[in-house]
Amino acid sequence: MSGAHVEPLMQSRVARPVAPKNWRHPTLLAIFIGIVAATTWSWLYLDMTLLTLFGGLSDLGNLLAYMFPPIWDNFPEALRATIETIWMALIGTTLAVTLSIPLAFLAARNTTPHPIVFAVARAVITLTRAIPTLVLAAVFSISLGIGPFPGIIALGLHSIGMIGKLFTEAIENTDYAPREAVLSTGTGKWQTILSTIVPQISPSCIGTALYRLDINLRESAVLGFVGAGGVGFLIQTELRGIDYQRAISAVSVIFVTITLIEIVSTRLRASIIGDHLSMPKKLNARSQARVARDQRLINTAISTRRLTPPWVYERVLRTTAAATFVALLIAALITIEMPLLSAYKYGDDLVRSIGRLFPPNFTFAREEIIVGMLETTAIGFTATLLGLVLAIPFGILSARNIIIRRAVVSAARGILLLIRGLPELIVAVLFVAAMGLGPVPGTLALSLGTATFMAKLIGDALEEVQESPREGVSATGASRVQEFFSAVVPQALPNLVSQTLYMLDVNLRSSTVLGIVGGGGIGFLLLGSIRVLDEATVGAIIITIFVLVYAIELLGSFVRWMVE
Amino acid sequence: MQVSLPTRNAVANGADPLISLVGVSKRFPNGTLALDNVDLNIPRGQLLSLIGLSGSGKSTLMRHLNGLHRPTAGKVTVMGVEVSSASNRQLRGVRRNIGFVFQQFGLVGRATCLENVLTGALGRLSGPRYGVWSYPKKLRSEAFDHLERVGLVNQAYQRADTLSGGQMQRVAIARSLMQQPQIMLADEPVASLDPESSAQVLDLLLRVAVEEQMTVIVTLHQVELALGWATRIVGLRDGRVVLDRDATTLKQEDAMEVYQRVDKNLAQPSNIAQPSNIATEPAPLALREK
Ligand SMILES: Nc1ncnc2c1ncn2[C@@H]1O[C@H](COP(=O)(O)OP(=O)(O)OP(=O)(O)O)[C@@H](O)[C@H]1O
Ligand SMILES: [Mg+2]
Repeated sequence: MSGAHVEPLMQSRVARPVAPKNWRHPTLLAIFIGIVAATTWSWLYLDMTLLTLFGGLSDLGNLLAYMFPPIWDNFPEALRATIETIWMALIGTTLAVTLSIPLAFLAARNTTPHPIVFAVARAVITLTRAIPTLVLAAVFSISLGIGPFPGIIALGLHSIGMIGKLFTEAIENTDYAPREAVLSTGTGKWQTILSTIVPQISPSCIGTALYRLDINLRESAVLGFVGAGGVGFLIQTELRGIDYQRAISAVSVIFVTITLIEIVSTRLRASIIGDHLSMPKKLNARSQARVARDQRLINTAISTRRLTPPWVYERVLRTTAAATFVALLIAALITIEMPLLSAYKYGDDLVRSIGRLFPPNFTFAREEIIVGMLETTAIGFTATLLGLVLAIPFGILSARNIIIRRAVVSAARGILLLIRGLPELIVAVLFVAAMGLGPVPGTLALSLGTATFMAKLIGDALEEVQESPREGVSATGASRVQEFFSAVVPQALPNLVSQTLYMLDVNLRSSTVLGIVGGGGIGFLLLGSIRVLDEATVGAIIITIFVLVYAIELLGSFVRWMVE
Repeated sequence: MQVSLPTRNAVANGADPLISLVGVSKRFPNGTLALDNVDLNIPRGQLLSLIGLSGSGKSTLMRHLNGLHRPTAGKVTVMGVEVSSASNRQLRGVRRNIGFVFQQFGLVGRATCLENVLTGALGRLSGPRYGVWSYPKKLRSEAFDHLERVGLVNQAYQRADTLSGGQMQRVAIARSLMQQPQIMLADEPVASLDPESSAQVLDLLLRVAVEEQMTVIVTLHQVELALGWATRIVGLRDGRVVLDRDATTLKQEDAMEVYQRVDKNLAQPSNIAQPSNIATEPAPLALREK
């Protein structure tokens, strides 16, 4: 598109595949070699072979066969548990957003009141992100008991890590000009912030919250594995009890729910962030009528000097959305019977249950911690590799600008959406049920999740490449495949490298909890220590997990900083 | 709306200048000396135009008047308050009386024009506000009046980012009017506008300023525009006042001096710049090699 404006000479210059300048920087090279070495070691450590992979597939086939014909008599129970799962996700996300808003203003460079407050707020955001929801839920359930509360609080606290981070970035990305202009009229700091920063960040913050709601729905579907409410408990009991024919109803209800909500939330986010609410891109008859009606409303409001904004389409939509949200939240709070009034008591319990993790005891289960962490790391690396290998073909197939046949693209995207419909840990439970306990089923489950996520990223990255180099290369008479490798790949590569690192980061976090469902890694020891109330060891494990996850996150952001 | 406000004039104690700068210098943390010992007295009702090359310190000077910047040396007094050492509270009080129009408008794009104008009343209210409905009805009606005055009442419920540049600047002016200011500062209010909307905006700005008997300081790049309306012209160069004259006796050539003398300065380095010409000479060689 932009290529049309580029002069021919420029085109041929841009057309040369350009790698980022410090691509060959020694530090970067060392990191890559390290990652490759770690992946090779992981593969060997887990005794992975292609045979295991295919064996796993056939085991899974057998499991699916056992599930038929399904018995639906527990369908109402599955539905009830799924609805509880949704409510938990909704309350947890709302809790996280509520806590993240003040935190983000304290953590944003341009609104923070003091450098010390800034540092503390940032630390809180990073800390909450590093401890997986399931681990938090398991720890909180010691003092809060079995049920949805520990799950909701875990969701709320862990989500601060992402929501707070993205809110902070949104605040830091706001335009300073309106703020300075309003400040110049003699306003106070918070008056200025509410009038100029909040309107600028609200669309992206709502987008973030919706996105997190999506993630939290998947998370809360597995909280039942540690007794923290939702549909997970049902799924686990049925699969553990080899009641495969019944298990399918809970699995399929949560699958359909997650898929539907993802579709709705993607639409909603696109319309909020893409702003088509106020300016429809295509003016079809309906939107034309809508615009005309809005204009009439505005005209009447102005000619009668109405002092309240007219009910234009966008305002109606926004108000409806807000009212729906409030109604759902109230329904959730009532159904779950959230003890809002005695929250302080639970806060006390929480603080105490965290306090009991200290001082951590690293020596009691030293051997097991080391083995568990090694296995967790190996799973993380292997799953990333396998996921990437799977993702590349799917990613390419789902890029609209590479694959010309729309049917192929839609099919690829459809398959990805369907696989995404099952949370990784539920897939892990299925694999464990099919293949038995151990790191291999866990790795396979994670790599499937990685594949869908990466395929989407690859597809998006490919769709974002600029057209001009492609035109330049194909003008030289190159074939489509040649053009793809010499013009498209180099452009998308830096982005893909940083996304792969991000995936590695995510997988290491996920693999710390796989053990909870018997999928290998440190999670097994963690759950065991929680069950026997060995809190000092739990503390030690959590700190070890935090160090690993934080180190990988630092490494990832360092590489991203160098590559982009 | 064109009612003049005698009470406000009564507040003024005639002899004292409304704005005074004494020995004001500003050195930014990065070492740039943006203002260099500036002395300036501006009486009530004056229409002053500040001219000077890019980087000469015009914006920096304006920002000292409402305390967006604090001087490293010297004293800035506005309406009897020493802005350079005022507390935040005092500063807010002074700012309420100063309308400030920026080159980049400073509107909140996603908010409606009415909301943007209403933010001009925040200084009079206590506590934060969000959305039109959170302002008292009386103020909303006032905001309508100001939009009417700048000719944009039909856009009251339109998002600010759907307006043209000239319209945006008029909304920004309406927001300043909402403050009922005694002083109007405008920092290159028309620099990002086309000539036609420039004329319209500048016209509007001066008309309302005169009607409300405001003291006005406008920085401008175009000398001819400045000469058209100002009663006094002040020229800055390298943070120093190099010209301060009654506009009626000033000829355009004199005003151009502010720019010209810098041009002469530029002319000298261009002589020294010769070695760089030599440096480019081997170019043909390089070509031959190819
Ligand atoms: N916040 C700041 N930090 C450091 N230096 C600054 C800052 N603001 C301005 N300066 C410097 O101070 C000098 C004067 O800048 P100022 O913006 O006042 O010039 P100006 O006359 O308004 O120029 P223009 O016509 O381009 O707007 C310039 O050298 C500029 O680089
Ligand atoms: Mg300037």
